[in-house]
Amino acid sequence: MIRVESISKRFAGRPVLENLTFDLPDGRITSLLGANGAGKTTCLRIITGLLRADSGRVHLGEIDVAQNPMGARRQLGVVGDREGLYERLTVEEYLTLFARMQGLGGKGLRQALASVRDELELEELWRRRTRGFSQGERMKVSLARALVHSPPYLILDEPTRGLDVLAARLLRRTLLRLRAEGATILFSSHVMSEVAELSDRVLIMSGGRIVGNGTPDSLVAETGSANLEDSFVALAYGESRRANEEVPA
Amino acid sequence: MMRRPDYSAAQMAALLRKELLETWRDRRALLMAICFSLMFPAMLAGSTIFFVKMHTEEKTRLALLGVDNAPLLEAQLRSADLKVETLSEGEPRQLLAGGYDLVLQVGEGFASDYRSFRAPELYLYVDSSSASAGRAERHLQERLGQLQQLIAGQRLVARGIAPQLLVPWKLQVRDVSTPSSRGAMILAMVPGLLILTLFVASLATSVDTSAGERERLSLETLLLQPLPGWQVIAAKTLAVASMGWLGSLLAITALVALMPLMPLAELGIQQATTAAGVVTMGLLLLPLALLVAVVQILLALRSQSFKDAQTQLSILQLAPVILLMVLDMSRVELSDHFWQLVPLVAQQQWLKSLLVGDAVSLPWVLAGSLATLVPVVLAVALGARALRRERLLNAV
Repeated sequence: MIRVESISKRFAGRPVLENLTFDLPDGRITSLLGANGAGKTTCLRIITGLLRADSGRVHLGEIDVAQNPMGARRQLGVVGDREGLYERLTVEEYLTLFARMQGLGGKGLRQALASVRDELELEELWRRRTRGFSQGERMKVSLARALVHSPPYLILDEPTRGLDVLAARLLRRTLLRLRAEGATILFSSHVMSEVAELSDRVLIMSGGRIVGNGTPDSLVAETGSANLEDSFVALAYGESRRANEEVPA
Repeated sequence: MMRRPDYSAAQMAALLRKELLETWRDRRALLMAICFSLMFPAMLAGSTIFFVKMHTEEKTRLALLGVDNAPLLEAQLRSADLKVETLSEGEPRQLLAGGYDLVLQVGEGFASDYRSFRAPELYLYVDSSSASAGRAERHLQERLGQLQQLIAGQRLVARGIAPQLLVPWKLQVRDVSTPSSRGAMILAMVPGLLILTLFVASLATSVDTSAGERERLSLETLLLQPLPGWQVIAAKTLAVASMGWLGSLLAITALVALMPLMPLAELGIQQATTAAGVVTMGLLLLPLALLVAVVQILLALRSQSFKDAQTQLSILQLAPVILLMVLDMSRVELSDHFWQLVPLVAQQQWLKSLLVGDAVSLPWVLAGSLATLVPVVLAVALGARALRRERLLNAV
């Protein structure tokens, strides 16, 4: 379980996150929704230990991320809002590097590489340098990097942005497989159909606070909306905005 | 819960391999390093050949126009330094452009003026923008001065006056510079240029691995791995230093290879540098290569952007040249042992000694290298701290 307890964060005196508290249960996919600037990326960066919260705590299972960042990083797989590839390395070299940095070696390393190569259909790309890869190819490699050490916790920041249909399907299939195996997955997205299809739970952020937390169905019911998109608009922007933006029949 | 140790040699080896692969596959950085490393010895060889030519082939070519007006002048002007060629006609500007150092035109009424003791006119054409103009003019003035003295003396003797009365003293100029000392001027530049090569060769790599990685967000990915920050900085430092160090090693090798083409013997310099000398010089530069690399990485990490980092490091690479120039001009006694503990100056002094075939003191080399490595360790620790700054992730 990922437990976020009362985290707050300010940048240059401006509050970005205010007293955020939520739990992410194991074996569930949770999506994090919010308008641009709502604080999603900052929240994800604090969970991964890249940023420190001004107050509050984040636990990955028993590990306090701030107290034991190295331990937390061994438990995490992260796909950031950009892929962070090394363009002068081949896919094999790139994934080997990250597997080794996560402590894998020998037979375990070879098995891990073969596993991500097969699952994410990377055979054709395996010995190519990543320079010039398409968005979908970059995302697959980036996802493979996050998964190569089989982490129990997976954080993805807008993973489907710019993906073609096949790549997006592959990503969804992988996430569903990981959920079935008990992984805790948190991803941010702006694509409502994808959120509705994948998510067991949805967190909605606005102005650095959680304004909605529940299953997609419970959020729709809570706001009296027709679908998840309307629920999101109602919770993130307020009723007036929803009324103004509804398309007349 | 049991915590695993943060450091692992296998992790460090993986990270170092990545940094080295990234560094040595960067064609732009590699090309820049190779070009500069080869350009400097080539320029040095060229300038040495030019320098020697300037000081050994000193004969001045003089075109003499209107010689019919003073038929004996040509023979009188000829000397060891002056090669006189008489021409019946010619435009002075074109003759100067055509390879003559000077053009001397004898005036129409030279003979009659000379006979009647009126100072006849000679017109000297010189291109003062030419490198040889000063030397050529000096040669002619010296020769004309000798002739003038001779003729004036003969005239005085003819009138019963001792010519010595007009010569209260004789100034004799003796150039005490030796070919060797003139050559030392050239060799004195070499250590500074070798150190500059180190800065230039590692510049592109250091910017790419720090500011470049931050801009491409791959640094963020690295920071998400269970690695202590010092490992990240240390691996980057080693990779960047490898590029700078091999750049300077290439420059030293090229310099030694070009030495047979340089007229060093004419400058009184014996080629003292051998293959073993190249290796020794390379080893002496190794700690400095590490220091330069880590300073470049730190500066680039602090910069606002990739371009900002390039600008800052371009300015930084002038630092060694300026520092060594200032020390040279301030006439500080750099042979004091103290200076062998000062990074940059120590390496410059050692290289200088090795280039002219002098020995360097091993204990002082070890002490100086250690003094260079101490700031490297401190800078790595500072770099590890810098990696924890939120500004680095453009979060603030």
